[in-house]
Amino acid sequence: MLNVGKQRARTCGGVSRRELLRVGALAPLGLTLADLLRLPSAQGADRSAAGKSPARSVIFLWLWGGPSHLDTFDMKPKAPVEYRGPFAPVPTNVPGIEICELLPGLARRADKYAIIRSLNCASNDHGVAGTIGLTGSDTGAISLSGQVLPGQVKPAHGSIVSRVEGFEPGTPKFITMGGRLHQGKRAISGEGGGTVGSLHDPFRLDYDVEQGVKIPDITLVDGQTPDGLSSRRALLESLDRLAARFDRSATAGRLDQFYAQAFSLLTSTQARKMFDLDAESDALRRRYGRFRFGQCCLLARRLVEAGARFVQVNWSSHVEPVEDTGDGGWDMHDRNFQQMQDRHCWMLDQSLCALLDDLSERGLLGETIVVAVGEFGRTPKINDKAGRDHWQQCYSGLVAGGGIRGGQVIGSSDRRAEFPASRAVTPADLFRTVHDRMGIGTTSLTASGIAPQGEVIEELT
Amino acid sequence: MSGSPKRRHRRDGPRRIGRFGASVAGIFVAAALAVAAAQEPKTGELVRLTRDGHFKQRPAWSPDGKQLVFARHRGATIFLFVVAADGSSERRLTNRTDPEYDAVFDPEGGAIALAVDKTSPNQGDIDIHTGKSDGSDLKPLVVSEGKLSHEEWPAWSPDGKQLAFTSTRDGNQELYVCRRDGSERKRLTSDPAHDAHPCWSPDGKSVVFATGRWGNLELASVEVESLKITRLTESRGLDDYPAFSPDGKKLAFVSNRDGNLEIYVADADGANPRNATRHEAIDNFPAWTPDGRLTFVSNRDEGFDVYVKSKVD
Repeated sequence: MLNVGKQRARTCGGVSRRELLRVGALAPLGLTLADLLRLPSAQGADRSAAGKSPARSVIFLWLWGGPSHLDTFDMKPKAPVEYRGPFAPVPTNVPGIEICELLPGLARRADKYAIIRSLNCASNDHGVAGTIGLTGSDTGAISLSGQVLPGQVKPAHGSIVSRVEGFEPGTPKFITMGGRLHQGKRAISGEGGGTVGSLHDPFRLDYDVEQGVKIPDITLVDGQTPDGLSSRRALLESLDRLAARFDRSATAGRLDQFYAQAFSLLTSTQARKMFDLDAESDALRRRYGRFRFGQCCLLARRLVEAGARFVQVNWSSHVEPVEDTGDGGWDMHDRNFQQMQDRHCWMLDQSLCALLDDLSERGLLGETIVVAVGEFGRTPKINDKAGRDHWQQCYSGLVAGGGIRGGQVIGSSDRRAEFPASRAVTPADLFRTVHDRMGIGTTSLTASGIAPQGEVIEELT
Repeated sequence: MSGSPKRRHRRDGPRRIGRFGASVAGIFVAAALAVAAAQEPKTGELVRLTRDGHFKQRPAWSPDGKQLVFARHRGATIFLFVVAADGSSERRLTNRTDPEYDAVFDPEGGAIALAVDKTSPNQGDIDIHTGKSDGSDLKPLVVSEGKLSHEEWPAWSPDGKQLAFTSTRDGNQELYVCRRDGSERKRLTSDPAHDAHPCWSPDGKSVVFATGRWGNLELASVEVESLKITRLTESRGLDDYPAFSPDGKKLAFVSNRDGNLEIYVADADGANPRNATRHEAIDNFPAWTPDGRLTFVSNRDEGFDVYVKSKVD
């Protein structure tokens, strides 16, 4: 089932093009059409690095809120009870590697992925660390208090791929599943094109267990359907002509491209098939899990299978758990162990295992990098509310597929998982490595006007 | 009372129906009995009570077995719902807007206790309220004092005079008991490890709970008077959510000792644990109907729903 959002948008002057089809990349940034036209122009794609790498696509599982590394991939059973928590490590199918007992499926597949246990970043604020995790840099990040850090927001990892590959109407390179990311009621920065422009913002999708696949950021006039929209193409074209003064500029041409992409995704039979999870067997859908994250992972596989280059699946839009009226993020300041045991860990385990298996069975894992990481970890010392607070000094991530060498652990933490003990790496290093595996190296980046950040983690490749 | 309309109707009914009517009625009664027999759960039969698939936690039966209460996660909400024994007639327990969960009926069935959550800026402030069993007249019973703390997982003693619960009020999650009016609060455990999910023994003298003091979660009991701790399980996996059967002879709990979360049923002292669910899906939150049927939450079909197993060996 494909679901398209609806919204009243009428004026006394009738239906405007912008009202008829709002492209979501604009709304989250609070941009108007005029704002978009003023954005920096994108350069032509540099494909010099393409084709050299075995990795064709990336599925980036963004574990928003910050999972506890001590209760997932970096357990410390010998630490004092105030640190180690109530869960035990279990052996994996790779001798010497142990992970949490709440991840039994992943324990049986450790040969397929690498664990990084020495990630760290510069902030324990969700907003700032989130921007670092998504862009590799804190420039332009927005803190919880609303402070905006100096500098322009750098492009998201997927936007870099879109920029280097080049924008193609009807074929989004960068797709994000989930709404805009928030901490509290404040949206964070770093989800889109940043310095390379909104043209490289992600095309957004989402999945709702009751409504099915949603395109939340494209809102139609009340009563419109994608089919109805198709029949009104003539109207759109006439509206286009009214906007001829914009169309004369090259920048507006890119805007048209963006509209065209949204339009084609709404109306093309092929694209709608791509979004149609009902085309998958019931057994496979169950393997992924009949919950939002699981079905988003399945949709991500369908998208990369259809040619998408970078698909980001947001675990949640809010860092807060449901107990704090969020939508189930990993920010477990309290009730950490109950939530990890009852919900988050098995959800991640089920969906990620299904994704790895499904990609492998279809021969896609070798060309698809899968990354699962949050913006930081959680305090090794358990707080006084049976929870763990923010901890950016040391945390873990998982990387698989696309030429990444599995069955290994990169870096290590100290005896209480408080600080890296060896091979400290940053989010910028991680995604420099991911881009490198996709054939996007220094030459491609600089040719696209993007300053390279971080260093390739050679051990992963 | 002999003149009550109800009794008069019963006595006069067959005469009004007549012989033919009685025969027809007899056929219908026989048919109804046949249908009822067909609907009677067979040994080991699994009945799915809910079908929405949203995540659910801690199902709990009323003492007469006519109502089931559980918490459902949907979107950004956790609310308590009550259904009839066959899963029908669903309604919300309260009309609160903040998260609520862990509701349990008292042994007499007239009252209910539940955990009441707060959202930011009081994230992590959870209190226990009690009220009438229909969710009305809720009043705070155990609340945070001085600083934010969790007061949760209420469990009534068999005689209904006390409640056990967990609290983080002293800086670590520990077990406590109090009278049903909140007075005479007593701390049962004092260990830096995680203690959770209390469940009264049938004789009301001890409380069984999950604890991380020996590594990962295991079941233990604490005597309410002496505070003596006895270890009940020792498995390679976690053991959690203990629940005594109504006759007090069986102890159900969740365990991942065989690789994934299953419901196990052991003797009352934790010995002889048997896997009662045996399914690759996740089975969690065991509870018992008053007539001894095992109830739990599972994702074996579409999403998470409440199931009742008719007989457990």
